[in-house]
Amino acid sequence: MVRRVLQALLSLLGVSVIVFALLHLVPGDPVRTALGTRFDPDTYEALRARAGLDRPLLVQYVSWLGGVLTGDLGVSFRTGQTVSSAIAARLPATATLAGASLVIALVIAIPAGIISAVRQGRPVDYVATAASQVGVSIPDFWYGIMLILIFASGFGMLPPSGYESLLEDPLEWLRHLILPAVTAGVVTGAILTRFTRSSVLEAMTADHVRLARAKGLPERTILRTHVLRNAWIPIVTVTGLQLATLLGGVVVVEVVFAWPGLGRLALDAVEARDYPLMQGAVLVIASGFLVVNLLVDLLYARLDPRISYA
Amino acid sequence: MTPRLLLAMLATLALLAGACSGGGEAVDVDGADGSAEDVGLDDDGGADDTAGGGDDTADDTADGAGGGTLVAALGGEPDMLDPHTTSSAFSFRVLENVYDTLVQPGENLEMEPALASDWTVSEDLLTWTFTLREGVTFHNGAELTAEDVKASYDRIIDEELNNAFRFAAVEEVVVVDPLTVDIVLNRPAPNLLTSIGSFKGMAILDSDDIAGGTDLTQEANGTGPFALESFTPGDSLVLTAHEDYWRDGLPLLDGVEYRFIPEASVKLTNLQSGDVDWVDSVPPERLEQLEESEDVTIGRTAGNDYWYMATNQAREPFDDPDVRRAIAFALDPVDIAQAALFDAATPNETAIPESSFWYLDHAPFGQDVDQASQLLADAGLADGFTMDLMVTNEYPETVDAAQVIAAQLAEVGITVEIRTLDFSTWLDEQGQGNFDSFMLGWLGNIDPDDFYYAQHHSEGGFNFHGYANPEVDELLDAGREEVDEDARKDIYDQAATMIVDDASYIYLYNPDIINAWSPVVSGYATRPDNAVRFVETSLG
Repeated sequence: MVRRVLQALLSLLGVSVIVFALLHLVPGDPVRTALGTRFDPDTYEALRARAGLDRPLLVQYVSWLGGVLTGDLGVSFRTGQTVSSAIAARLPATATLAGASLVIALVIAIPAGIISAVRQGRPVDYVATAASQVGVSIPDFWYGIMLILIFASGFGMLPPSGYESLLEDPLEWLRHLILPAVTAGVVTGAILTRFTRSSVLEAMTADHVRLARAKGLPERTILRTHVLRNAWIPIVTVTGLQLATLLGGVVVVEVVFAWPGLGRLALDAVEARDYPLMQGAVLVIASGFLVVNLLVDLLYARLDPRISYA
Repeated sequence: MTPRLLLAMLATLALLAGACSGGGEAVDVDGADGSAEDVGLDDDGGADDTAGGGDDTADDTADGAGGGTLVAALGGEPDMLDPHTTSSAFSFRVLENVYDTLVQPGENLEMEPALASDWTVSEDLLTWTFTLREGVTFHNGAELTAEDVKASYDRIIDEELNNAFRFAAVEEVVVVDPLTVDIVLNRPAPNLLTSIGSFKGMAILDSDDIAGGTDLTQEANGTGPFALESFTPGDSLVLTAHEDYWRDGLPLLDGVEYRFIPEASVKLTNLQSGDVDWVDSVPPERLEQLEESEDVTIGRTAGNDYWYMATNQAREPFDDPDVRRAIAFALDPVDIAQAALFDAATPNETAIPESSFWYLDHAPFGQDVDQASQLLADAGLADGFTMDLMVTNEYPETVDAAQVIAAQLAEVGITVEIRTLDFSTWLDEQGQGNFDSFMLGWLGNIDPDDFYYAQHHSEGGFNFHGYANPEVDELLDAGREEVDEDARKDIYDQAATMIVDDASYIYLYNPDIINAWSPVVSGYATRPDNAVRFVETSLG
């Protein structure tokens, strides 16, 4: 376990180096971008010096890393906020949307995937497969706007966009959450449906399942005790990855629904070449990945007694 | 686990990068200027405008004070709230209502008294004495004094902030008495009022905030009609009425809530569904339909912004004025404006729009393909050539216009390779001179010096395309110091004629400024400088 954590920290370090290098490799300059077209050389130099951008890259990286180790992620060039407060402010909305989307995705995907695998080749399988194909293919951008046009503009039942805090107004929180969560959830659900179907199908062809069937066990029992237990492992893995992706921010959905999530924050940071904010956001998103992965691994051990992390 | 994590991270980055080049709403930037404030001091209750107030039922009583909270949608969000350091037009759409300047553009963009009630100029034209309005208070209760003016201007100059260049002619700012401040110049500057008042980037802050190091990026303390209540990046910003605002009886609203809605069609849906009352722009392709709608009032006026194409005169063949002229002859600004903005623009071969005192009626080009081909042939380019055209999805209209420009130049044998870049990269390439040509706009200029000097003087700070004409330099220098308005107009007419004839910029059009609001909103006027002022606005 200790080795795994060390490994994870090493990965974070690697990611931060890559991100730092990539951001400085791409063209564009935070100070020029902040000034826009009204560029004045004196102002430019003054701002660069103030932001510490006139120092050698290595010095900049080391000083950033030093800050991180002492819990200081720096200050955003673009907004003047501290990076940690900018990110913290986006976490509730991000977690809300990720959680709700994943619930919707699982509610769709698990039953649909299993039924479709068990009834392989029957009409219900075709419908589920076709539906998930459509779900994967349709751009969430278009799909989100259609939902807005139908449910917000057409029926006027739900607000077209925006976010409300759960603590301030639970009802409005829910009303604002439904459309973006359905948009992100259905897309994720479509991916998971296809995955669930194929892993159940694969588990159904295993030798011990054929043996169980030969023994004359009822299909229901075979499914529960022999198929699903083996199918869960890959499903959980992919679900974990999907959750981590959702936690990193679903940029398109956030843009369409004006949702104050991490994805838009990171996008704004990239566009403005806001190095401190971008590195902070990536660090947090990467940590999210690590934590989710760790949880997934722990879950394996519970699902499959053959796996253990002593 | 490690490789999986790395992969996932790279995928995230790729996603971000992809999204990055994916477009989005347009906006600003270049100017810091979306702004300028309204108001005349004395036209208080005046319906200033266009507002479509009347045509609806308005079952709300609200009138006068206690007028409710207006919900306004912006297509982007302020990066920060410090008027001296931001260059985001979205910031100024908010700050316009929070801060004041000494003078400000009135309805015709002529400078009117604001925090200064009047001013005089010394005989040598080098000392401007401003008398401050009495009894003006900041949102925190502090009284406005000459010290605040000095501290604000000194901050911009000493810290070399974004707008320091506007003070190029200023020697020092001197406090004469608590309500009198002198601005001492090193040369006459007839456009001083525009320099200090054209937009809220020149706002007067409380000297205590400056000295005390208040974090003005996240907080605000102005003298404007509304005070900052809260700012939630990514979501919204709330203003409440300033009780002691210096114009009696204003503002009419209790407050304004800005919501940041990046997707244009979603923003419009919010207006139509009644979730917001006012939006800062509408997609041009929806304009015609909306103008016929009874549920939405459109405010539309000819704007002071302009869009243009420039070629890199440090490179061949664009160093030859005839080649630049050939390009100008090959283009049809009418078609380009149509493609970019569905006709919500006025084609113009000069920079300054017809509504301005400084307008020059000069259109030597028009589309003339034969003339263009002839000029190219004379320049030894009868077989045509290939050039790149740099545009940015930060301003989608440049991307749309580029298609038409490419098609029109193809007619005369010029092959255009369109480079669509994110704005950060675009600016970098522009700064390094890595381009054959680009299209962009300048927003929020008012004085002719702003329109021409930095762009076309050989030493101009924004002269990225490398134009140099000694005669133009001389005229632009003279225009900075000529105090007689008619003589000054004459100087700029001459300069503009040369700039256009040399095709330093190939001017394309002045876009209309368009806002839209619900019929319950009244007392809002769409302004040519795109300043968003809610001081006289009411609901119902």
